[in-house]
Amino acid sequence: MDQMIEQLAGELRAAESTRMPIEPLAGRLPVRDIAHAYAVQSANTRASLVAGRRLVGRKIGLTSAAVQRQLGVDQPDYGMLFADMEVPDGDVIAPGALIQPKVEAEIAFIMADGLDHPDPSSAEVLDAIGWVVPALEIVDSRVANWKISIHDTIADNASSGRFVLGGPARLAAELDLRLCGMVLERNGDPTSFGAGIACLGHPLHALRWLAGVMARAGHPLAAGDIVLSGALGPMVAANPGDQFSARIGGLGSVSVRFGKE
Amino acid sequence: MIHEYTHLARLLDEAACDGRAIPQLQENLTLDQAYEVQALALARRIERGEQVSGLKMGFTSRAKMVQMGIETMIFGRITDAMAVEEGGASPHARYVHPRVEPEIAFRLGRPLSGRITHFDAMAAVEWIAPAIEIIDSRYENFKFSLADVVADNSSASGYVICPAHRPDMDISNLGMVLSVDGVAREIGSSAAILGNPWRSLVAAAAFAERYGFVLRAGDIVMAGGATAAVAVDAGARVKLETQGLSEIAFSFS
Repeated sequence: MDQMIEQLAGELRAAESTRMPIEPLAGRLPVRDIAHAYAVQSANTRASLVAGRRLVGRKIGLTSAAVQRQLGVDQPDYGMLFADMEVPDGDVIAPGALIQPKVEAEIAFIMADGLDHPDPSSAEVLDAIGWVVPALEIVDSRVANWKISIHDTIADNASSGRFVLGGPARLAAELDLRLCGMVLERNGDPTSFGAGIACLGHPLHALRWLAGVMARAGHPLAAGDIVLSGALGPMVAANPGDQFSARIGGLGSVSVRFGKE
Repeated sequence: MIHEYTHLARLLDEAACDGRAIPQLQENLTLDQAYEVQALALARRIERGEQVSGLKMGFTSRAKMVQMGIETMIFGRITDAMAVEEGGASPHARYVHPRVEPEIAFRLGRPLSGRITHFDAMAAVEWIAPAIEIIDSRYENFKFSLADVVADNSSASGYVICPAHRPDMDISNLGMVLSVDGVAREIGSSAAILGNPWRSLVAAAAFAERYGFVLRAGDIVMAGGATAAVAVDAGARVKLETQGLSEIAFSFS
């Protein structure tokens, strides 16, 4: 069983480094359940750390009612953020760096304190947040044509690709994270709209869920961790040369460009 | 031809009065002809004692354009009889197949018409308010061409507005959540309204001049839906939450 998990993890690693997507792998999991899918993800997290990549945070995925319906699930998922996945605000993602990128606008939390309780209260979660910033997540799938089930995306590090943190950094107490409006523009054209409530009813709910899950898994959130809490509106496919910028009402803005050959 | 417009206006007006659906129009009206039918149907309302209270913009958002397959901005006229009290109830039977959508509304303190700047628009507005529009097509299955919907007063049927806010706030990207019976059904941003609802007011003033009327002091301009419209049943309680603005609600009885 461990051998099969290592095998699938290796295929995903190879797909990421060669940019050659693979077929869905859920059918080849020893048991098609969430725990086995996370076991594949963990195998790659270990491989990344051994290779010298630095873990700087987590992303939460499957946080919108529409996406959960689409995948037939009733829970979010998470993936790992490594330092080399961060793109500076306004910068360019090198052409060909990703396989089939899509962009979504999110709220990112930067933790001031760790959260090691397996069932933290919302007050403890709020207290542990240092800064809140607008963010873009560039998701990518190592599975061909995004033909993913929840097992595929979990195994594939929650389909993470790159992330961009915008500004300014603000204190959570100033913000209406539930009703803040979101508009994502592609090449200046407003394309995706939403609000904070689209992320599990409130981005803080997503953070609280993650904090509990990570504590129970023995890898609690730590001070300085970045948490991408989940999309506030529909994701938008990116083509070479596209420029994306998002504004989140009351927070600020963030942008990125996809390089062209 | 004049006679034919009168006939169509009567047909649509009666369907609206009875809350009864009619087949799509057989005539291939031009857009200008459709607005003439709309004006004649409005004249019938005025004859019955209704007062024009302003204008509603339609198809100002991509979500609405996609939902209805139409890519041109349009307008309809609203009257005092269409106002539904905030916190109140509106009889479901009055409509054919009503839908609700989240909007931003402007109340004018000065008249507006013609080619205006955003500064002109802002100077003319006395109040801004979150608004729920009740749209209701008089056509069977909510199916229509662009000219059909324009002749049908752009599906204008009802509106809920109140309370209001001063216009000196940034309304370009306010989160909006439309809930039915406590469940969030549509989530969006006021940015979906032409990128910024103020642009819709500028466009409304241009429509007024083009079609020979004036937006008067006291008139309400509904900027258009920020999300797709949601179909609602009798008994439904509809609530709109807008970032930084008051919450508004009403029910279908």
